[in-house]
Amino acid sequence: MDPILEALDPDRTRPADVLHSKGLSLAFGEKAVLSDVNISFRRGTITALIGPTGCGKSTFLRTINRMNDKVSGFRHEGDVSLEGESIWAPTRNLLLLRRRVGMLFQRPNPFPMSIKDNVVAGVKAHQIAKGKQLDVVAEERLRQVGLWDAIKDRLNESPYRLSGGQQQLLCLARALAVGPEVLLLDEPTSSLDPISTEVVEALLRELTPALTLIIVTHNLGQARRVSDNTMFLYQGELVEHGPTAELFEHPREARTENYVTGRIG
Amino acid sequence: MSAFVPLVALVLTVLVLAFKAWPAIRVNGAHFLVGSSWKPGNVYGAVSTTGGVAHPLGSSYGAWPAIAGTLESSALAIIIAVPISIGAAFALTERLPRWLAEILRSAIEVLAGVPSVLLGLWGALTLGPLLANDVYPIVANHMPNVPFFSFFRGPTGHGEGLLTSGIVLALMIIPIVASTTRNLFAQVPALPKEGGEALGMTDWEVGRKITIPWVRAGIIGATVLGLGRAFGETIAVAMISGSLLNTITPNIYGTMGTVAATLVTQLDSAFADGTGFEVRTLAELAVVLVVVVLIVNTVARIIVRRTGHLAAPVGGVI
Repeated sequence: MDPILEALDPDRTRPADVLHSKGLSLAFGEKAVLSDVNISFRRGTITALIGPTGCGKSTFLRTINRMNDKVSGFRHEGDVSLEGESIWAPTRNLLLLRRRVGMLFQRPNPFPMSIKDNVVAGVKAHQIAKGKQLDVVAEERLRQVGLWDAIKDRLNESPYRLSGGQQQLLCLARALAVGPEVLLLDEPTSSLDPISTEVVEALLRELTPALTLIIVTHNLGQARRVSDNTMFLYQGELVEHGPTAELFEHPREARTENYVTGRIG
Repeated sequence: MSAFVPLVALVLTVLVLAFKAWPAIRVNGAHFLVGSSWKPGNVYGAVSTTGGVAHPLGSSYGAWPAIAGTLESSALAIIIAVPISIGAAFALTERLPRWLAEILRSAIEVLAGVPSVLLGLWGALTLGPLLANDVYPIVANHMPNVPFFSFFRGPTGHGEGLLTSGIVLALMIIPIVASTTRNLFAQVPALPKEGGEALGMTDWEVGRKITIPWVRAGIIGATVLGLGRAFGETIAVAMISGSLLNTITPNIYGTMGTVAATLVTQLDSAFADGTGFEVRTLAELAVVLVVVVLIVNTVARIIVRRTGHLAAPVGGVI
């Protein structure tokens, strides 16, 4: 970034790295899932998290918003910090952490309530807005994900009649409604058709640099298309990470090369 | 074919009852539903004839106190039992460690199997007097004398009555509603619940806004099952209601009767009626009970249909 622009950046006093994982090892009971992961996530970037099934991608992702905490036997060593403060710090409010670190899941998971109530469910839970303000939030977020025109007349209807792609966009709108800084995406397009996938991918690009995104994906093409940086996990180890183009074109490690070229998977 | 057995049994039961009750229905008329007198008349004396139907001189039957008592005690039981059952189901599926949940779950199932006569005896000998001596007076003395709350004021009796009946009925319903609701909760998929958690909802909010609505129709169904049990429960209520036939209790502690309890408490003396009219009247009372149960079931179905449009697809797409 240009030094002048950098000096004028409203985020200039905030650490450039939003999230930082330091010596992070994870285990469920006796089963080690991840060992010694060290990586930083720069504000406003999209990081793709790739690796074969069972490599620990989702576990890593679900650690960041502490979804693993209540899984029985979950243990962690090392630390993950959000803007310099550990996510496990005793002073940390879990609910506020999850407001700042949102999540989109493998499959759309609308709540059993109207479309509008779905969008503002988190806003209500965190008591950010009420009454007429909720309508404003709902419209704004549905516009942001490009759903507004298609469903503005169906706001009080069930979300389960929407198409899978629309449901996932609704869930994205819901996650964005509480104003997160980081968005965790756990294979968000794995259940969607190619056209919906394209829509979601385009949206993710638009979310930066306001948000920092970490996306778990099995789709290497998707990782190349949407991400700035890529991290490759293999058997619980962070093998390699770096700018996406570099990692795909000139992998430093043989295992990375084998994976991105499809020789292991 | 066997699928039709319950339907045939229901239809036959109602038909036989209605046939038996028909003379009483004609003689008692509308007074039976709105009147408050329960007088067998002089069963050993002169016989009077109304519209060709013989009945003891002076007999007059109005079942409104029993109907009201059934509705009141069942409503009380539901009001007490449903929140407790949902709370218990929530604790069993979401909160407690698995070993403890399993123990408590078996305990609930054991409670479901306790014969109601035991609960009735316990209610009459232990729970009722305890509540009437130590709990009801405190509540009664602290209720403001304004509409609705004044129903909780006044003499608290000796433990036989509406509130005690409602509490004991609730104990009988809780196992039904709690174990059904527990099974429903266990079927709610993890994904929408995790969605709520990831959004920063508390466990309580996830339960209230996602888990419960997800199975709302099933919970209403379980409640109707419980309500059916409360309507029909006979012996325990006969033991703890005080079996009042002719008046509606002025407050929540007073003695009362229900349709089902009246059937069992009056049957013996009904056989003393040589004209058979009181037995026919009891049959009419039974028909009323069936009709009330059918009405409540129908209303519940309508509620399920009305509130169902936002609910998750049956079987769950997720």
